[in-house]
Amino acid sequence: MLKKLLHMLLSGFLLFSVNQLTAQSKSDFIQYHTNDEIQQILKKYTNRKTTLHTIAESPGGNAVTVLEIGSDLKDVPAIFVGANFEGNVPLATEGALYLAKMLLDSAAYTQKVKWYIMPQPNPDAATGYFTDVKYGRTVNDYPVNNDADDALNEDGFDDLNGDGFITQMRIKDPEGTYIISKDNALVMKKADTKKGERGEYKIYSEGIDNDEDGQYNEDGEGGINVGIAFPHLFPRAQSEAGMYAGQTPEVYGIMRFIYDHPEIAMVYTIGSSNFCIEPPVGGRKGDANLDKIKIPNRYGRMFGIDVSRTYTMEEVIEMFKANVPAEMEITPSVVAGMVGLGAAVNPLDDDLIFYKKFSEEYKKFLEEKNFNLETLPPSPAKDGSFELWAYYHLGVPSFSMNLFSIPKEKVEKKDDNEVPSENKEEERESEISEKDKALFAYSEKEWEDSGFVKWEKVNHPKLGQIEVGGFIPYLETTPKAEKIEELVGAQIPWLLQLSNKLPDITIEDYKITQKGSGIYTLELFVANNGELGYPISIGQRNNQPAPVIIVLNGDVELLQGKNRTPLGSVGAHQIRKLTWLIKTTPAPPNVTVKIESVVFKNEVKQINIGG
Amino acid sequence: MVRYIVLFIIITSISFAAKAADEAKIEVPLRFDRYYSYNDVIKALEALHKAFPELTTLEAIGKSEENRDIYALTINNTKTGDELNKPGVYVDGNIHGNEIQAGEVCLYYANMLLTKYGKNEKITNAVDRNTHYIIPVVNVDGRYHFFADGNTPSSNRSIRIPKDDDHDGLYDEDGPDDLDGDGNICQMRIKDPNGNYKVDSEDPRILVRVKPGEKGEYTLLGYEGIDNDNDGQFNEDAEGYLDPNRNWGYDWMPPYVQQGAGNFPLSGVGLKAINDFIASRPNIIVGYAFHNTGGMWLRAPAAKTIQLIKSDVTAFDVIGKEALKITPGYVYKPSFELYPTYGDFTSHLFFNHGAYGLVGELFMRSQETYKNDDKGVKEDDLESLRGNTQTARSREQLQFNDNVAQGELYKDWKPFNHPVYGPIEIGGWVKMSSRLPHPFMLQDLVHRNASVVLLSAENTPDIKMQVFNVKEIDKDLFRVRVRVENTNGLSSMTAQAVKDKLYVQDHLKVSGGKVVAGGKITNLRLNKVNYKQTKPEVQFFAMPGHSMVEYEFIIEGKGNVSFHYFSQKAKNAVASVKL
Repeated sequence: MLKKLLHMLLSGFLLFSVNQLTAQSKSDFIQYHTNDEIQQILKKYTNRKTTLHTIAESPGGNAVTVLEIGSDLKDVPAIFVGANFEGNVPLATEGALYLAKMLLDSAAYTQKVKWYIMPQPNPDAATGYFTDVKYGRTVNDYPVNNDADDALNEDGFDDLNGDGFITQMRIKDPEGTYIISKDNALVMKKADTKKGERGEYKIYSEGIDNDEDGQYNEDGEGGINVGIAFPHLFPRAQSEAGMYAGQTPEVYGIMRFIYDHPEIAMVYTIGSSNFCIEPPVGGRKGDANLDKIKIPNRYGRMFGIDVSRTYTMEEVIEMFKANVPAEMEITPSVVAGMVGLGAAVNPLDDDLIFYKKFSEEYKKFLEEKNFNLETLPPSPAKDGSFELWAYYHLGVPSFSMNLFSIPKEKVEKKDDNEVPSENKEEERESEISEKDKALFAYSEKEWEDSGFVKWEKVNHPKLGQIEVGGFIPYLETTPKAEKIEELVGAQIPWLLQLSNKLPDITIEDYKITQKGSGIYTLELFVANNGELGYPISIGQRNNQPAPVIIVLNGDVELLQGKNRTPLGSVGAHQIRKLTWLIKTTPAPPNVTVKIESVVFKNEVKQINIGG
Repeated sequence: MVRYIVLFIIITSISFAAKAADEAKIEVPLRFDRYYSYNDVIKALEALHKAFPELTTLEAIGKSEENRDIYALTINNTKTGDELNKPGVYVDGNIHGNEIQAGEVCLYYANMLLTKYGKNEKITNAVDRNTHYIIPVVNVDGRYHFFADGNTPSSNRSIRIPKDDDHDGLYDEDGPDDLDGDGNICQMRIKDPNGNYKVDSEDPRILVRVKPGEKGEYTLLGYEGIDNDNDGQFNEDAEGYLDPNRNWGYDWMPPYVQQGAGNFPLSGVGLKAINDFIASRPNIIVGYAFHNTGGMWLRAPAAKTIQLIKSDVTAFDVIGKEALKITPGYVYKPSFELYPTYGDFTSHLFFNHGAYGLVGELFMRSQETYKNDDKGVKEDDLESLRGNTQTARSREQLQFNDNVAQGELYKDWKPFNHPVYGPIEIGGWVKMSSRLPHPFMLQDLVHRNASVVLLSAENTPDIKMQVFNVKEIDKDLFRVRVRVENTNGLSSMTAQAVKDKLYVQDHLKVSGGKVVAGGKITNLRLNKVNYKQTKPEVQFFAMPGHSMVEYEFIIEGKGNVSFHYFSQKAKNAVASVKL
């Protein structure tokens, strides 16, 4: 009850301070910031309770920095926040800076949680938003010879019409496969040969075949895309991922930093996917079916198990337990390793429960602010992305957020009484995708119709007369700067709310039962008062999150139980009981029990046995 | 805790390991009737470098987790060309801390190349034509501790990144303990009328399982040690475990999928340094990583699901199939056939550095024989020949120890007062046994295996090029035909590297005239040419082992025209003609 009251007070305080922030610091969030400006802001944010860590230098010589907020805190869980890993979502960087500012302006969320905020993990690519010619750069300056020819970065895009944007070019060609859509003359669609349509145009990205190899723009500047270069489902076949995870120093430095800080118990990613609204998707092939586990022959022989049938995880645990020394703990993670279940590639069912629950809460949170949820869906998380790696490899709750999506075009409601039209032409499906419709409408409404470069004739140095046109880069992800404050102000506070859901491990109670002759049973009840389990299900599978150990000290003999007992997993709002059989000699002394953990407060409780 | 116990122990016996470390002075030529400690390896490398300063570069290329230097010896005759312009041969060993004879193979290879340079034609050619990169000890901390600490033949493989194996919040707190202080971690056994072991009727050092209903004499208590963390388990959280051969970037999987993987690819700082060393030597075309044990040549891939391109398998076979003849008893196979792994070194070398990577699993224990019918019978055959195979094999191994190795490989059971168990016995195979040949067998092992490395050096690509036909087809218009040949068995660029666009593809470049058309001759007799559409003056391709191609160029102009074959791994070739 007290806790709830305190919580209300804190939230109230926060609201107040956010309003204050809006008034005070308008200057910070009315523009997108360059790398230098970001570093200046971060330096401005440092005080005696913050530390600015430089964790890597990009191939282009830019620093990758992490702002630690709460350097003075010990024994508290930490949240790591990374933004704009692909470098082409400058709004995400602003969101991370805004979050840092909120945390510095109000003490409400920095009492029990430490924060690590990394606003610009891909600084080389992020420069792409500020260059004279924009194409939506995602790669850093790592030298990659994409076409393996005798020159590096020799065939990038070329701004043929000089408008500062790389769009598309269309070329009339008898071998072309595209035609102009009947529904919208700006849109090119694939000719449908089944309908007797014949292609008229070829389409390429805007540029010249600078190296004359028959391909357009296949070897531009860079590089590796930091946002797809982490080791979960590392997409080696994509040249922008590099050859292996961590090849590029930003990714290596980030992984090193995070594993050096095992107190990180939750990870936020601000970018283009949104686990806050859409839980991570499953259905990927190749994931182990935990209800149909096959036992390898060697364990079949060793343990006398019938290998011709399959077993559930519970069955396998029971069979293995019967065959190994009693003190050897058989967990799902041990089984997975022994029978070679392979990597988890789909979110575990138990984890989807909290993802769905929090998603509903978040939608309500936004609705109360009248925030438009009728937008195009967020992008799914990519293979090799930071947010997937955080969930699957670190085994912690991983929440992502995209701060802007294109509003859906409002469909005019059909009159229910309308007589079905006889005109087939009107009934046929539009050739324009919902996404394109939304983009055109958004361009018209918010960008004075300049979001699409209308096809214009250009003289191409090699191809002769062609036309250049298309949606401009960054249109989908990057609204006008005057929208930044409104967007981040509405959504970022949810990340603070989510921090309240962290697991919270405390000693709830204990019970002593006298057995006689100085022998006692000690039962200890350890509670998780948070809204997230510790570890969550994937953390139990990969055994990565730091353990919580209950340490019992005192001048007693343990007939059963250990001095150091791993707590194991405790679900949200659940209690776990640990039991010891204790012999005291000669007089009943005190013992202490302690929660020992790099994540949670190291609470110590004195227990007077027999007293 | 263990320190206190060790303090109470009076060390009476001088261990085999201690004796080995006191061997004679280290000088060139190096001796191979001994094992070199980590410090000895450095001394040996320094001695080689000092004796052959013109041919060698010795450098510390990085530090280990415990701040030890990792050394690389580069052998190159600078008079015959720059290091990076020659096909590179890479050799390392001892990535697993206990697999020490791998380091001796590397030292032997260096010693052989240097001491026989100018005396032996084959070796002289290899030194002149190739650059040899030799890292005898990858896991420097592991080698140091294998000699310095008590170990089993199989312990101390890890690199020294502490890991909480038993998940109790403490790191590396309960490894085995050398209770009797002899430098070995042996077995512990306790007299127990209810035990499930009894002594063998022929050799009481051997314990055999009792039959159901039979009375036992002993219970085996596992490896020498105490329960340092008092959790009811013995020796369950030793150093690491981070397997340095599961921590590489290609096809890496996290620790819950691949035991010992480490937290992320190349999290081991020494391994990262070695990776950077290799990355900055893009001329490396073949590489060896020596391990023990079993007698195997293992090639990529390490997982069944990964398919190699046929021409790469052919190149591997050129080495692998010949290697079998040099090392009798070995088998040659893809490494997944031994067992599948993720994040292994040779796959990383092959897929991410474009070099043919092979593992040499040194030593077959079946060579420890004591019988009169030895015709190099394999262990499998021995088993079928005899009844109770395990016991029979143990008896023979002990007789080998007694009569051939003069008792240096095995410690007889001796009483010991264990702090928890009370009176027990400690005994068994010493650390310098089982996976390591006795030093008297070392010379043969290092020589044969180093000869396989030399075989690969001989097979590194050698590109030869000639203009074989020039015809004036019009005024100042010439048809020039060029032949390119790779006379050796390894490709100038792996087919996998071409497919993955790993680096600049090998190419033939014409300079001097205006190339109007050019392409590969597909049928010389019928004058069929597959002309390249654009930029005919640069032709991209690569040369598989033992291959030949012909190209045709239609060139406008007069004067000198030259043809360059550029290859990152093979030595570049040039030909020219005056039109």
